[in-house]
Amino acid sequence: MATESTEATTAGVEFLEVRNLKKHFPIQKGFLKRTVGHVKAVDDVSFHVKPGETLGLVGESGCGKTTTARCILRAIEPTSGEILFRTKDDDVVNVRELPRGPLRELRADMQMIFQDPFGSLNPRMTLLDIVGEPLLVHGMDSRRERADRVAELLRLCGLRPEYMRRFPHAFSGGERQRIGIARALALNPRLVVADEPVSALDVSVQAQVINLLEDLQEQLNLTYLFVAHDLSVVRHISDRVAVMYVGKIVELGNSEDLFDSPKHPYTSALLSSVPIPDPRLRAERIVLQGEVANPANPPSGCYFHPRCDYAVDQCKTDAPQLEEIAEGHWVSCWRAKDLDLPGLESTHGGSSNGSS
Amino acid sequence: MAENGNRNQPLLSVNNLKTYFPTDEGLVKAVDGLSFEVASGSTVGIVGESGCGKSTVGRSILGIIDRPGHVEDGSIIWRRDEGNGIQEIDVTKQPPNSGLMRSIRGNDIALVFQEPMTSFSPVHTIGNQLMEAITLHQDVQKKEAEERAIELLNRVGIPNPDQRIHEYSFQLSGGLRQRAMIAMALSCDPKLLIADEPTTALDVTTQAQILDLLRELQEQNGMAIILITHNLGVVAEMADEVVVMYLGREAESGPVDDVFHNPQHPYTQGLLRSIPSIYSKGVERLPSIVGTIPHPFNRPSGCTFRPRCPSYIEGTCDVHEPKFELIEGTKQRVSCFLHHPPAEVTTDGN
Repeated sequence: MATESTEATTAGVEFLEVRNLKKHFPIQKGFLKRTVGHVKAVDDVSFHVKPGETLGLVGESGCGKTTTARCILRAIEPTSGEILFRTKDDDVVNVRELPRGPLRELRADMQMIFQDPFGSLNPRMTLLDIVGEPLLVHGMDSRRERADRVAELLRLCGLRPEYMRRFPHAFSGGERQRIGIARALALNPRLVVADEPVSALDVSVQAQVINLLEDLQEQLNLTYLFVAHDLSVVRHISDRVAVMYVGKIVELGNSEDLFDSPKHPYTSALLSSVPIPDPRLRAERIVLQGEVANPANPPSGCYFHPRCDYAVDQCKTDAPQLEEIAEGHWVSCWRAKDLDLPGLESTHGGSSNGSS
Repeated sequence: MAENGNRNQPLLSVNNLKTYFPTDEGLVKAVDGLSFEVASGSTVGIVGESGCGKSTVGRSILGIIDRPGHVEDGSIIWRRDEGNGIQEIDVTKQPPNSGLMRSIRGNDIALVFQEPMTSFSPVHTIGNQLMEAITLHQDVQKKEAEERAIELLNRVGIPNPDQRIHEYSFQLSGGLRQRAMIAMALSCDPKLLIADEPTTALDVTTQAQILDLLRELQEQNGMAIILITHNLGVVAEMADEVVVMYLGREAESGPVDDVFHNPQHPYTQGLLRSIPSIYSKGVERLPSIVGTIPHPFNRPSGCTFRPRCPSYIEGTCDVHEPKFELIEGTKQRVSCFLHHPPAEVTTDGN
């Protein structure tokens, strides 16, 4: 996570690297729409994604995880920062500076799966039109060719190609999410940004979609940026996990390290608040007091200090930086090295019969 | 309609409840023969996926089902302690707007809704809405009602309650709004709180706060809770008894520990297996339940879970409807032919 941002440092970019990404939304007031402040939705976020892996991005609502994901695709224009992406031709481009034309071409490489399977499909378009639209936009003009490709995609996502002429209302939530996945895969992307892809689904269907995403990753060699709030799902699917709090990454590390021995008090509290579907594990949990800080008016120093049990004077005045405290494990906490925080094993009675 | 009951009987008994919604397209059997009991001071979790009818159960108990829905059959017995004895009231037989129903609703049984965003009026202050509930059910002056409202907000952990009662619901965060909602439900010290997905719209850390609060309040005033949710983790955490619903019927019910550790119905088994475990290491495939929940107009014949069931017995499950019965030697009840062979039902199968 280099802090230098010059052209020369692009050589080290493996697949995707986000450097010092910021997105500030202005707060406007009054008749003249004067800007009276900024909501720092994403505030200096840096991370990288390796090819073929799944990076989970977790946090509570309003922490900026969706904004981060959208900035990477430039669905939202970032305020500043660099988004470096290694293209198919092995060039590194800064997505943030790309003009319209090249950006459109690049978008074939990076696609998105949305949260709401009901709102993200146009009810007046058939599956053929929905899944075929990206193909049309990217120059596949022959209708027959498109139909063939759509059939192939539907089959890939576990839907019957015969359904191609139907409209989305005829499908259940899980099936609609499969349609959304088929659309995202139409152009053979290499990076798929999935924004809460299973949170609107029922448990029994959620498992099917998670399995589908994992199968597709293996078959098509996809890289996922997986945005979610459900920690169990994130643990299941992710190789590495980044935890966000009020626009900043507070901890980033291998899934296993982060869940078993979290180094940031927020991660530890977050893990402890997940209800475990086992009545024998009703353990004493760490219940965080207070509310998530307001991103328009964050507290001084470390944003988490008003809710933190371990806060010292330094936390109130100085903001900690993300530091690597062990190989690949990054934490932004002044006390990361001297705290021994409870991970999953200790907060829930040490039982790890996770054989599901 | 009212008769004497026994003090050892449960607070609420739901017997063979059927709530139907006749629509232009056909009859939706939202709840189709559900029975369960709630003992005083206990927590019963009702779990199921969307469309299984779990919210309709809560609304049926309070007599606030949206038209054209109505209770077709069955009874809901509410037992009210009158001091000199127990009065049994069949809620389904009362006109929804009768004085008796109004005295039960809000006073004896309170409801916490799922969306804290929309369940408050945006044009009245929180205090006004709380005071309305208090003055409706209790004979108090405005001043006293206000004091009680402040005390209630304090009790559910809202900071600066004397200022907050002058605020509108949109000025509160999601967690505070849900706390205010609970305060409103508690305003008349209900014997039973129906919490319909009380934490679904909240973040995990806020969810943990609200669940803690509910448990604390239950300890303080000994109310019973019906917790309606799709989150098996929340149920495992809170409930004493669980009812697992599928398409308007119970698949399985019993003490929470037994149902989670020794599930007997294939649906419960599949459901528990399909949740990714937060402890899971490495990438193993999630066992999932095949297919999707059928459309309400398109209910399968026989056992409704049959098309998705791994233990489907041809010629039995598709012909007969399983009965919901106790498994001998356990405290669990299931509706499945694996446990109750069809011989028992062939005689009365239609």
